[in-house]
Amino acid sequence: MSIDAERLQLPLPRPNVLELAPLYEVLRREAPIAPVTTPAGDPAWLVTRYDEVRQLLGDKRFGRSHPEPEKASRISTAAVQDGPTGDFETEEADHARMRRLLTPAFSAKRMRMLGENMEELVDGYLDALVARHETTGVVDLNRGLAFPLPVAMICRLLGVPEEDTELFASLSERMAGTAIGDEAQKAREEFFRYMIGLVENKRGALGEDVISDLVRAQSEDPSFDYAEMVRLCVGLLFAGHETTVNRIGLGVLFLLTERSRWEDLVADPEGRVDAVVEEVMRLGAPGDLGLLRYAKEDVEMAGVTIRAGDALVLSINAANRDAGVYSDAESFRPGRPERTHLGFGHGAHFCIGASLARTELRVVFAALAKRLPEMRLAKGVDELEVRATLTGGVTELPVTWRSM
Amino acid sequence: MKVSVDLDKCVGAGQCVLTADDVFDQRDEDGLVKLLDPSPPGERLADVRLAAEMCPASAITVEE
Repeated sequence: MSIDAERLQLPLPRPNVLELAPLYEVLRREAPIAPVTTPAGDPAWLVTRYDEVRQLLGDKRFGRSHPEPEKASRISTAAVQDGPTGDFETEEADHARMRRLLTPAFSAKRMRMLGENMEELVDGYLDALVARHETTGVVDLNRGLAFPLPVAMICRLLGVPEEDTELFASLSERMAGTAIGDEAQKAREEFFRYMIGLVENKRGALGEDVISDLVRAQSEDPSFDYAEMVRLCVGLLFAGHETTVNRIGLGVLFLLTERSRWEDLVADPEGRVDAVVEEVMRLGAPGDLGLLRYAKEDVEMAGVTIRAGDALVLSINAANRDAGVYSDAESFRPGRPERTHLGFGHGAHFCIGASLARTELRVVFAALAKRLPEMRLAKGVDELEVRATLTGGVTELPVTWRSM
Repeated sequence: MKVSVDLDKCVGAGQCVLTADDVFDQRDEDGLVKLLDPSPPGERLADVRLAAEMCPASAITVEE
């Protein structure tokens, strides 16, 4: 296999939801920063090697904004990570303020303290699944566990009413849609209107939650734009559930598609779950693209010249399977000696919800291994439908523990 | 072992707290790193080194 001189068209088709396109291996070796055409039809650089992806994520010469947003390359037709965001002049200061405001609410200690609460919630979801399984024999872990847990947690943290779940989940799904054209942008506008309503409702009675904190901060700081605050709230609600739901699904698939992986976890859930979570974060590859950055100035790297304003798609999926960094990189091996990965990003934009996600994943996989050791997939991986959204993941996760 | 942290670099990711919570914590007011023990015992070296390696902002320095 070799790389054509012409631009590659993204996304690179993959064999299934657990594997990546074999071409990534060739790209990492021969063209770690390669010119591509995005799904939206615009030029960009695709970065696939671990070292370059990590370096770029930590490099201040690259950002999320663009000096002339209307001229910037678009990445996809989804309305998330589709193009530049934020103000080119004030991006760094805006981002620093956002981190300062949000970091305490998502700190490792506070997320750990939520763990017990999560365990109770998960036990309740599993009780309901066990009861349903007695009559149906097959249950959908997606609907019964992977979805409700992250939604309940992010609603509590942000102060969003849980009864709005159906509405914001459907808006999130459409906003991240890659195969519905303009509908994605419409969903984004609708999501913003919903959030403005929520914010204005709260304003009269601000509470101990993240959205209330942001409303307070915005009203006290004239340089904190109202639209920017709403964008943040939408981003938190979207990212706070969408990503974790998919990650739980991918983790369950990794664990159940090879019995020995599942049996290893079942043999010692408390002792092994942390390593399993990290390996699911490394190998799980939602979506087919990556994180988006724009160059602020001309940069020479890995034998190419990136021009100011150029778009870069940083493939976290490809970097996390770099054979130059990980031994037996494509294998699911919890407890591997290489313990770092880019699953939560790197640098200034490192996932603010990483400790929340880790705690959720830990509670979910440990509880499943303890309570449902006989669990197995009720359908083959290839029979599962993959969602046509930027964040990927499967539409259902049918499992059974009926004796065969 | 001598550990130091750079608050100007720290992004409050909390990775160090998850890796070695006897050495690192996060400040309540802004979530940035709080160094609990600048000279942890030698047997903590592996975890402290890992925390430095995992830090997304390269804000932790370890001298043996």
